Amino acid sequence: MSNNYFNTLPLREQLAQLAKCRFMDISEFPEGVDALKGKKIVVIGCGAQGLNQGLNLRDSGLDVSYTLRAAAIAEKRQSWKNATENGFVVGTYDELIPTADVVLNLTPDKQHTPVVKEIMPLMKKGACLSYSHGFNIVEEGMQIREDLTVIMVAPKCPGSEVRAEYVRGFGVPTLIAVHEDNDPKGEGLALAKAYAVGTGGHKAGVLMSSFIAEVKSDLMGEQTILCGMLQTGSILCFDKMVEEGIDAGYASRLIQYGWETVTEALKYGGVTNMLDRLSNPAKIKAFDLSEELKVIMRPLYNKHQDDIISGHFSKTMMEDWANDDVNLLGWRAETAETNFEKTPAGDVEISEQEFFDNGILMVAMVKAGVELAFETMTAAGIIAESAYYESLHETPLIANTIARKKLYEMNATISDTAEYGCYLYNHACLPLLADFMKDIKTDVIGKGLSTDDNGVDNARLIEVNEALRSHPVEAIGSVLRGHMADMKKIV
Amino acid sequence: MGNSISLKKATVAFDERFTLTEIDWSITPSQHWMITGSNGSGKSALAAVLAGMGEITTGQISGLPKNVGLVSFEAQAELIAQELKKDDADIMDVISVGTPVREMIFDQCADPELATQLVEKFGLSALLDRAFRKLSTGETRKVMLIRALSSKPDLLILDEPFDGLDVDALAMLQAHLETLISTVPMVLVLNRFDEMPDFITHVAYMDKTVIDKKGNEGKNDAGHLTLIIDRQDKTAFNELYQLLHLKTTDLNIPEIDAANKLPELDPSQPLVCLKNATIKYGDTIIVDKLNWTIEPNQHWQLSGPNGSGKTGVLSLITGDHPQCYTNDIFVFGFQRGNGESIWQIKQFIGYVSTSLQWEYRVSTSCRNVIVSGLYDSIGMYSKATDSQKKIADEWLELLGMKDRADSPFNKLSYGDQRLLLIARAMVKRPPLLILDEPCLGLDDMNRQLVLALIEKICAGSETTVLYVNHHAEDRISGIEHYLELVKKQ
Repeated sequence: MSNNYFNTLPLREQLAQLAKCRFMDISEFPEGVDALKGKKIVVIGCGAQGLNQGLNLRDSGLDVSYTLRAAAIAEKRQSWKNATENGFVVGTYDELIPTADVVLNLTPDKQHTPVVKEIMPLMKKGACLSYSHGFNIVEEGMQIREDLTVIMVAPKCPGSEVRAEYVRGFGVPTLIAVHEDNDPKGEGLALAKAYAVGTGGHKAGVLMSSFIAEVKSDLMGEQTILCGMLQTGSILCFDKMVEEGIDAGYASRLIQYGWETVTEALKYGGVTNMLDRLSNPAKIKAFDLSEELKVIMRPLYNKHQDDIISGHFSKTMMEDWANDDVNLLGWRAETAETNFEKTPAGDVEISEQEFFDNGILMVAMVKAGVELAFETMTAAGIIAESAYYESLHETPLIANTIARKKLYEMNATISDTAEYGCYLYNHACLPLLADFMKDIKTDVIGKGLSTDDNGVDNARLIEVNEALRSHPVEAIGSVLRGHMADMKKIV
Repeated sequence: MGNSISLKKATVAFDERFTLTEIDWSITPSQHWMITGSNGSGKSALAAVLAGMGEITTGQISGLPKNVGLVSFEAQAELIAQELKKDDADIMDVISVGTPVREMIFDQCADPELATQLVEKFGLSALLDRAFRKLSTGETRKVMLIRALSSKPDLLILDEPFDGLDVDALAMLQAHLETLISTVPMVLVLNRFDEMPDFITHVAYMDKTVIDKKGNEGKNDAGHLTLIIDRQDKTAFNELYQLLHLKTTDLNIPEIDAANKLPELDPSQPLVCLKNATIKYGDTIIVDKLNWTIEPNQHWQLSGPNGSGKTGVLSLITGDHPQCYTNDIFVFGFQRGNGESIWQIKQFIGYVSTSLQWEYRVSTSCRNVIVSGLYDSIGMYSKATDSQKKIADEWLELLGMKDRADSPFNKLSYGDQRLLLIARAMVKRPPLLILDEPCLGLDDMNRQLVLALIEKICAGSETTVLYVNHHAEDRISGIEHYLELVKKQ
């Protein structure tokens, strides 16, 4: 088994790496793509990220080609078609890797170890290896040849959006990092910045982070609030509504599209704005529910963060990889059998506001999940900027996948790593919330509060508003959203 | 009041030089019309038809009134010419003084009492004994007006009646016309919308060329009644206002300042040169070995049916097609695939298409939409500078949309969005403007608006236009080069 890189570092260094994250201003990119000009960029893998990043880099004037396994080329698999139909040179590892100045590894996490082991001996002396996720380096402890520069450039959006935003003259927020143990020529940062410019990311905001901060925050966000909370919330809210006699089609639609609608408000104006969309009594109700949820779920969030930091999570997951994904596939099948997944959204009209009014519990769950994930991450030494992106910022993206095709689409879109963590969270969270759910009625999920009296106590409302607005995720959120003020208009 | 006047598919010739074609129009006695339109579109001719002039070649005209009061520059010129002839006809070597104003007004006058009042109001009392042909243009115009108004007409046709009148006379005339609205139907030919009196109930819009549903123009020496608008229809009325603004004001394409200027191109090089350009998907060939060179100031039309590869060829030029890297393409000084970025290419191209409009679903302001053309972006990712805002505002003024500078783009009408996107494409004064079916999906009025704008652009800038259309037979004036693509089997 591999060595967890993070665990080999002294605590001081662990904390220093976790705390790395800085929002870079567009003025910090005056060199554009110069550092990559004239260099030969070879991309491994031609899926959504691989293809779309390659298209952007080429349109930015860079020399891009694709390398695939010999079998993928011989059998003319989809990845081969993607690359050739777009006019790229495609070759085997043996043909192209030795010519590359920069190799972009855009294969799924699970393949990193075999792929990197295979290409490393082929790479030119002094070349650069780029990742879009640090799992292989941090959790699997992959050792990279000393002469190679290792960087990470991770656009924080699906591949299709990486391309669409570039074409319209923008980009998507992008995280960059340099693996300091592998920066022999000190050019890692310049290469990562040029790469971010090549994909358009600098226009949307670049976060300079570390491999470690990226991995530890990414894992935490994806398995708790992003995927786990939405999965557990979907199952609980649906079952409760049906149990309370609400039409199953309505319940299914309220949840499938509700997450997207309420997190849209989150994206624009944070947790505060999401709750401001509710009436005053509903807001206070949602706030109270979320406080309750936070108390119940906090130990679970702590456990996830602890397991991620200690490496326990990745260790157990990699054991499952080695065991032919028995757990993962079993849990995936289980998800397909949930009542929510099996009930198609009913043919009923639900207005935008109704998703809030009748989904008070969903709003409470999102608030509790975002705040808990943020609080847990920052308590573990992850800086607020990273914690914001990996909790609040990405929640709407995941919610959007549920709107497209329920939990199936979400789990199919996210990485296997995220999916594995999501199931762990869900299995622990469902029983944890069983008692809480017993007291839940349709006033907070399905029907909304009775509108007879919209009155609230002034003092209580002020207290709730104050608490919402003073949460640390709101403070950093308003700063980061401010940086992207112009983006906000179009995304 | 009298009968309705009706024109049914009437084609009327004037001196073989000008023809009004296939006019369908009817005027009921209670209506008051304004005829307006672009210069040379036949506004005066249409008014003259109502006075019985011109030769009807096909179609029918019925209900023309007997006694028409007509004031127009043509009629004025004719009267003066007659007076001058009297002078020429003098063989006695005695200088003829010509007909005095008094005679011009009061001979055969149906309402001398009214005429007397009007003479006073127009301040002509002191001129009554002067020879008509000695009067100034403005004074003869007043005489004409008095003659028409005091003739107890069944129909009053006033062709640009307010031109050349001083402020007092103008106010007096307008007030007098107000008193006639319940007794005499009126048809006013007016170039400017802001001169339109309140009593006008309908507007007839003329154009010199017909634009059919596909956006192509017809012959240039004929006039057409293209639009009829009821004043109650506020939307149509506002659009017409905008159209007239485009057609009748002296428009200059806004200049670009140094900060936003494009790099200079070598004028001896072609803008675009495709050599053996080929587009294929799998084994399907869409475009096969196309050779095409576009020289500066050489306007082109690209046509072909759906699936013939028009959009593909365009995207090879714009850099949007991934196969532009596997073809031999020279654009704006760049041989593609040598380290240039697409933004270096796109800066030289203004681009308008229906799909761009679909993609441009942003809530940004109209002003920002125009400024975004300087960045070739959809929406803005940085704040517009003051000089960029100024250029955008000049465009909004040109479009007659100044009042909507801060309105969100996605709340505009479809046609206004298209106009704005053309301005966005042109704001940087690109060497090449690609109009990919610019009139697709637009109604008559908006098609008129878009074409009026394109016409302005073609005439008033150094931009080379590449016009793309479905049908090769749909042609636009000013384009002399054609490329027709055929669908591959």
